[in-house]
Amino acid sequence: MVVTVNMVGLNVYRRDSFSHPELGLAVVSACVAWTGAAVWLYRSRARRTPALLVADLLIAVAAIAVTPWVKSEAFLATVPGFWVMGALLAWAIHWHWKGGLVAAVVLSATDLAPREVVDQGNYGNVFLVLVGGPVVGFLCESLQRMARERDAAERAAAAAEERTRLARAVHDGVLQVLAMVQRRGEAAGGEWAELGRLAGEQERGLRSLIRQQDTVATAPGGRVDLAGALEAMATAHPVRVELATPGGSVLVPERVATETVAAVRACLDNVAAHVGPDATAWVLAQAGGDSVTVSVRDDGPGITDGRLDEAEAEGRFGVASSIRGRVEELGGAATVDSGPWGTEWELTVPLA
Amino acid sequence: MVRVMVVDDHPMWRDAVERDLQAAGHEVVGVASNGREAMARFPAAAPQVVVLDLQLPDHSGVQVTSMMLEHDPAARVLILSASGEQDDVLDAVKAGATGYLVKSASSAELVSAVTRVADGDTVFTPGLAGLVLGEFRRIADGPADDPRDQLTERETEILKMVATGMSYKQIAARLVLSHRTVQNHVQNTLRKLQMNNRVQLTRWAIEHGLDDGG
Repeated sequence: MVVTVNMVGLNVYRRDSFSHPELGLAVVSACVAWTGAAVWLYRSRARRTPALLVADLLIAVAAIAVTPWVKSEAFLATVPGFWVMGALLAWAIHWHWKGGLVAAVVLSATDLAPREVVDQGNYGNVFLVLVGGPVVGFLCESLQRMARERDAAERAAAAAEERTRLARAVHDGVLQVLAMVQRRGEAAGGEWAELGRLAGEQERGLRSLIRQQDTVATAPGGRVDLAGALEAMATAHPVRVELATPGGSVLVPERVATETVAAVRACLDNVAAHVGPDATAWVLAQAGGDSVTVSVRDDGPGITDGRLDEAEAEGRFGVASSIRGRVEELGGAATVDSGPWGTEWELTVPLA
Repeated sequence: MVRVMVVDDHPMWRDAVERDLQAAGHEVVGVASNGREAMARFPAAAPQVVVLDLQLPDHSGVQVTSMMLEHDPAARVLILSASGEQDDVLDAVKAGATGYLVKSASSAELVSAVTRVADGDTVFTPGLAGLVLGEFRRIADGPADDPRDQLTERETEILKMVATGMSYKQIAARLVLSHRTVQNHVQNTLRKLQMNNRVQLTRWAIEHGLDDGG
């Protein structure tokens, strides 16, 4: 298409040289005929062969070369004039900057060779051709590469969307079956109960994966989704965790997310250590405009009053430094409450 | 005995739920495998409780909820969902569902949930409590002239405990309240949520000039 537009433009350029000597009429006519032929030839991708490009350039060269015979020896402008630009651009588009350079050199050499005097104007034209050819070629290359990259990105996005849709359909079926196995296994007892428990674990894992898939990994401005990060950590943790989030993503600065998740992990490690592997923990994330609060509760027997302070006083900083330390480092506060209903940590972190 | 309708597109699940409910002495008055069937059979079946899977093939769980309750405000909808898609669950509850259970819940939990929902009680999972808290938080962080109701401090406190997996009994013991009071507080949060949804819909209608005709 670009070639076609250029050719049409060149017909206008060609009119300028039309006023020159009558002897050139045949050459000009040939040029017009070739223009028409070239427009038709270039239109189809299949016909845009190297042979056509070489022929195009050779005709342009020939048109310049015959100038000394159709005009006087001391001619000023060649018969085809700017018309040769068509061949030059075709080369630049097809073979990029290298093609542009080759065509420019060939045309310039043909133009300069028969001239007796090379004046300022000739030099300027040649210079422009030598610079313009490669530059146009380079631009074409960039444009084509950008178009290819855009197409690839669009294809990738479409594929990802389709994958998500399929995954949802598959997941739904699998979740149904896993939930069913869990339910029936529990009712049947014995070995079946164990099978049911395993199905339940898988079901929870899959459900959390689906939820993570719905959240953005990284949002603009280096903010990450705390709900998704908590979900990922909780799924991997040996303690059975039930996570409650406000719905949607909870965007916080990356450092806040990393440190908060680490503090919650420390809480869960603590649950595993003090309540045992069969413990269940509940994690609730809440987000306000200026702070996030994460509560972690377990169903263990609770810790006696002051035991944490005692441990801190004795220099056993395990729990205190990994939970309190991290949260306080972020400018937040961590409180712990315990009773017959279990132990609950509440971590509040400001969002500056 | 509770008259129950089961709406689920998986025959396996429909049968299992039906069996469990019948074994517990409830009567299954109707089944349906999609939203269209459910709406067609609902008036004749006249169930007290509808056990509804949100992931219906025609994606109509939320609409089915509001249409059923419009037709018979005394009916109760208990959502039973496999993947717990958050937006749908919250929308269904806003539309009037009073119970939510994930499919991995045991038969006993399901039977007890149906009985409780039929009695007018609300059945929350910790996940749903988290979503409801999030919803009220969004209202609180919004413009100050919002006519929608906020939760009281007590209601927020109780909902937080529900969201961290505490039973009503444990909450009652921890806060030194009666079991009934805890139940009422939880019910209130849901009532406010549904009321707010209506306020929001009305406001939307007024803003968009839909009240001109009436």
